[in-house]
Amino acid sequence: MKKALLKKQLLESFSWLYFNKKNGKKRNSMGSVLYMLLYTVLFGVLGCMFYVLSLSLCEPLCALGLGWLYFALVSLLGIVLGVFGSVFNTYASLYQAKDNDLLLSMPIPASNILLMRLFGVYMMGLIYELIVMIPALIVWFMYGSVGLSGMIFSILIPFILSFFVMTLSCVLGWVVALVSSKIRNKSFITVVLSLAFIVGYYYVYARAYEMLTNIIVNAKSIAGNVKSALFPFYHMGRAAEGSGLSMLIFTGMILALFAIVYAVLSHSFVKLATANRGAAKVKYKKQKIKAGNADSALLKKEFKRFTGSANYMMNCGLSIIFMLAAAVALLLNREVCVETFTILGGEDGKIVPLLITAALCTIVSMNDITAPSISLEGKNIWLLQVLPISPWQVLKAKLKLHLILTFVPAMILTVCALIVLRPSIEFAVLISFTVAAYILTMALFGLVLNLKAPNLNWTNEVVPIKQSLSVTVALFGGWILVFAFGGIYFAISSIVSPFVYLSIVSIILIVGSAFMIVWLKNKGTKIFAAL
Amino acid sequence: MLKIENLTKIYGDKKAVDGLTLHIRPGEIYGFIGHNGAGKTTTIKSCCGILQFDSGNIYVDGISIKENALACKKQVAYIPDNPDLYEFMSGIQFLNFVADIFEVNVDDRQMRIQKYADMLELTEDLGQLISAYSHGMKQKLAIIAALIHEPKLIIMDEPFVGLDPKASHLLKKIMREICEHGGAIFFSTHVLEVAEKLCDKVAIIKGGKLLISGTMEEIKGDTSLESVFLELEDVR
Repeated sequence: MKKALLKKQLLESFSWLYFNKKNGKKRNSMGSVLYMLLYTVLFGVLGCMFYVLSLSLCEPLCALGLGWLYFALVSLLGIVLGVFGSVFNTYASLYQAKDNDLLLSMPIPASNILLMRLFGVYMMGLIYELIVMIPALIVWFMYGSVGLSGMIFSILIPFILSFFVMTLSCVLGWVVALVSSKIRNKSFITVVLSLAFIVGYYYVYARAYEMLTNIIVNAKSIAGNVKSALFPFYHMGRAAEGSGLSMLIFTGMILALFAIVYAVLSHSFVKLATANRGAAKVKYKKQKIKAGNADSALLKKEFKRFTGSANYMMNCGLSIIFMLAAAVALLLNREVCVETFTILGGEDGKIVPLLITAALCTIVSMNDITAPSISLEGKNIWLLQVLPISPWQVLKAKLKLHLILTFVPAMILTVCALIVLRPSIEFAVLISFTVAAYILTMALFGLVLNLKAPNLNWTNEVVPIKQSLSVTVALFGGWILVFAFGGIYFAISSIVSPFVYLSIVSIILIVGSAFMIVWLKNKGTKIFAAL
Repeated sequence: MLKIENLTKIYGDKKAVDGLTLHIRPGEIYGFIGHNGAGKTTTIKSCCGILQFDSGNIYVDGISIKENALACKKQVAYIPDNPDLYEFMSGIQFLNFVADIFEVNVDDRQMRIQKYADMLELTEDLGQLISAYSHGMKQKLAIIAALIHEPKLIIMDEPFVGLDPKASHLLKKIMREICEHGGAIFFSTHVLEVAEKLCDKVAIIKGGKLLISGTMEEIKGDTSLESVFLELEDVR
């Protein structure tokens, strides 16, 4: 029985290797091998990054006789990555598993189901943790003063540490399950958390060198703090140096902690697994209803679709935040910006207006809201086809959403750029006009692409948002267009002034947009009606 | 109210509907019966303007759906067998969305939402996101949305699937009320007992072709609808 459960768990955890999640078809053996290679390369690249980090920590700390602190610090990193990689898996596989009812209805003791689920969490945490720990161990064996017992303990520690990762994941996964069952605006909270993660990541990335230097300079005081406040980590570090007693203490503490969590889980597993975690119920109170027309109803629906999906907002509308952040950054760093554009603009500075336009358009094209908008209708497409509205009304609502959400922050950014970089009045008007025309072109381009390559048969909205041809082409196509216009200017700069060139670009964008509108109104509406 | 003339719809090289002709008059509840894959859903989706057909024509209240689809859709309501509704909206937001599209005034929509939501016991759940609804609740919401603009013709695909007995009973009552007020109902079903009790007329379809149609008495005579259906399935 346990073997069958284990096999099922492994199949579940690693099915992505053998099956294409998009269409549910089995990959051929070559496809599986290539997929494995791809992940090996990806993990290898991450491993190289951690190898470099380990190198910069290990040598100086070992020189100070604080090899244990090195091991404790990299293990902390391993725990963070392990928990990060496994916590959502824990949430899904332990507390929200779709087969809980099926397994509980079979003659299987609940403790076996729990053990099997925990095994999956353990494996997932271990894989992520090893991305840090394998390069850290290589560096440790190269530069640390490690004897035979130290070597054996160092190899064993990641596997023991993974019990701690699993324990943390179980607790955090429970918190995620509890919180997500209570909140209503999950998508906004996901976006805020994702943005906080991105900001945190770039903050750490930007200050990594400074932080490393701080650790090395203040190694002794940090060692003192770890020894007193995080003594399990001190013992883990000492065990890696070969202390058998520390190994016993460290292992004992990790396993004791796990035993407590396991006892709590096994006691309440059936209750947890069968809990109805529906969203917090809100009793409807009758309120005054406002009537609107079909166009406003369709636009409202598009807004709700956008704000109701963290994936949609993060992947297709992130530039809204970037544009506003860039506007603030421009105002706060006026001198640096002026200096940068002056250097890039060359001696006479005549291409500065072109550079401003190119920079604005590059950031604007990261908003590709229309590109997955048709595909996102998915199984709901029948509603738009059965209601008394024309396909053009539907397409117009999708365009309006893109234009509103992009135009407002883009114009705020443009005005800030014009205030800081002070081009002439004529150029200021022309830049603003070109950016506006570019936004219209990209909105239409995304819609045309999605009508040409729609995918209504998805089961997970991530597929049309992240993995569709229209989104990829819209995103990179926008950038290619900016670079192409830039390249053409440098080829013909001797015969045309920047002002004339920018005017020509604007006209091309407007004419292109007009063509796309005509196409959408004729061919596009027919394609939509036939979807 | 609904006239289907020589309707033909082809998928690849397979005729899903082959020269189908039906006429549903005001005041009639018209049942559409056939085994899985007989062409019922294709016919229904063509009548609602979801599917474009290859030949023939469909008229709603005398207006060709080919020539003026929007005018036809204004008079029709469609309830699918598996209502995939906007899960990012709450029940009340969805009903308002549909009412806005049909330009139903505030008083009428408020009155109809209250009437049908109370009747189907969905009022308390209208503030919830549709993603939290069960299949039956979605089905009830689709029914309320269909009734919000007082359509002349309601087309339903397996409307009783997923409904609890009380809701099924209420839906049958609503269907009869609509017909008494001059509306018409065209619906597909596998439940022959329901069709037998509820329908004024019935059509049986197989392989996209009409086997038989007429009043319930004409079709079943002294036997049951089930016997007629099974006999026709075997013979032809």
